[in-house]
Amino acid sequence: MSTATSGTRAATQDPPATPPPARRVPWARLPGTTLIWLFVAFCAFAFLFMLLSSLKSSFNVLNHPFRLPTELKFSNWSKAWHDGGFGPAFVNSVLVVAIAATGTVLIASPAAYVLGRNQGRVSGGVSLYFVLGLGIPMQIIVLPLYSIMAKLHLIDNLAGLIVLYIVVNLPFTVYLLMSFFATLPGELEEAAALDGVGPAMTFWRIMLPLAKGGLVTALILVAISCWNETFLALMFLQTNDNFTLPLALVNFLTQQQFTGEDFGVMFAGVSIAVLPMLALYAWLGRRITEGLTLGAGK
Amino acid sequence: MTSATLGARRGRVQGSPLARRRRRVFGPFLAPALILYTVLFMVPTVYSFYASFTSWDGFSDPRWKGTFNYQHLTRDPAFKDAFFNTLKLLFGCGIFLFVLSFAFMLLLREMKGRRFIQGFIFLPHIVSGVALAAFWGFLLSHDGMANKALNSVGVGPVDWLKPEWQFKAILVAIVWINVGYYVTILMAGVDRIPPYYYEEAKLAGTNAWQRFRHITLPMSWDVIGTAAVLWTIGTVKIFEFILAFSGSQGNLPTTNQWTSALYVYGETIGGTSPIYDFGRACAGAVVTLFAVVLVVVVLRRATSRDRLEL
Repeated sequence: MSTATSGTRAATQDPPATPPPARRVPWARLPGTTLIWLFVAFCAFAFLFMLLSSLKSSFNVLNHPFRLPTELKFSNWSKAWHDGGFGPAFVNSVLVVAIAATGTVLIASPAAYVLGRNQGRVSGGVSLYFVLGLGIPMQIIVLPLYSIMAKLHLIDNLAGLIVLYIVVNLPFTVYLLMSFFATLPGELEEAAALDGVGPAMTFWRIMLPLAKGGLVTALILVAISCWNETFLALMFLQTNDNFTLPLALVNFLTQQQFTGEDFGVMFAGVSIAVLPMLALYAWLGRRITEGLTLGAGK
Repeated sequence: MTSATLGARRGRVQGSPLARRRRRVFGPFLAPALILYTVLFMVPTVYSFYASFTSWDGFSDPRWKGTFNYQHLTRDPAFKDAFFNTLKLLFGCGIFLFVLSFAFMLLLREMKGRRFIQGFIFLPHIVSGVALAAFWGFLLSHDGMANKALNSVGVGPVDWLKPEWQFKAILVAIVWINVGYYVTILMAGVDRIPPYYYEEAKLAGTNAWQRFRHITLPMSWDVIGTAAVLWTIGTVKIFEFILAFSGSQGNLPTTNQWTSALYVYGETIGGTSPIYDFGRACAGAVVTLFAVVLVVVVLRRATSRDRLEL
């Protein structure tokens, strides 16, 4: 089922789904509603706290955690960026995420196209083979991969990590795009075939533009998962120069016990890791939630 | 679909020029993804099974040792901790998470700002677990916010992070991070229930509880089942939150907070003095995988049977 249809379906269902409010006893749900608002408030507090604390002095973060910043300490950010290692880590993360996400979608979309639009037994079997990967936890593949990457001298190498990110995101991306391609109308493809356009050209010029929505969703979801990925990064990267943001953050958190705690700088680092995701979510929130929950709609 | 119609349809597709042309690109289009996935995903999976029967440091060739690693696991306190903690997350956290998510979902359906709230509580799911761990750690630390808040109402500092409580603090955080995600999944499922079911039930004079019991619940078994499978697969991935929350000074968290993923990391290259016991770690991962498969199969069975009860 495509994200588009489920979206419109939910929208058209909304009006009859809301019951006439007059027949309900409002206070019966009050405890539950209060609990939800408390939960929302806690989430809001958590994120506001992380962002605002990045502009406060360590003393104020510790002693007046609930107060708004009195002065805006942007020096926290420059300290985190230059001394805390978050600057180079940010650059690494952007690089890894951009290449890995693009690469994943580039490799997954032709495969998803032929799997999504062919009905044969082979196609079904291969689809199932990809879906199998969704259930295999990372820890089962990581050690043989470590050995392979060590032999190829790709340990502590960002290119090596990018290849791994592409591989581990393939099952989900193929699955997502497959269901997307399957819902596209067949007429254009047939028309192109009648006009003598080759199958590769049909895919590139006709089907890919049609699937743009799905491709963008896939791109964003892979980017989010790579941006936050820690386990593989920790297994395969070793030197600080190569660290991605989650590693820089782990590193900073664990070093702090030695160097004395500077909470302002710590939360500046946290904000550097969190803010791009918040911005992306504010911009494309619906697409992200629908893409991430798509698998459950089956 | 019967085999006859399937065959007829395949016959038609095979005959059409479009399908023939598409079959020509089938191989080349599929090859890059299929090869990468096979070589760097499925082969390592299979190799892990083999390696779990060997003594292996990840660099030299593995030496066959039969079931030694598995026998060792049964006596390894670190593995027992990791395994039971994973089960605690899976079931303890899971039941709490699902009851809470389902309740939130039902309440949200009748609230005004439902889309906004739903989007908002989804947030923790898409940010780094390490960042959330930094916040969580600061919240619960000795002079952290929770104690500051308690202090202002005259309650003395609580030692939230004492060893017996630390893993519980992790469990609560995992619920917090995941509620929004599962609310959204469950909501999508319940949204698909045709509204006229409720209308007819109302005409028949049912009350809210009866409608919940006889429409909402049975009609959502499907999506609950899928969500439970997602949760099962998701639990064994939980790693960085615990590492960042409980690890310190380059050391790993103590083993009583390990999970399956931490065990694999800790038994191989993790920590200040790595062990490089790849064989044993593979055995641990294989046991985890089997546990996951078992739970998924049982869940599928349970939810698909109950769904018919309508």
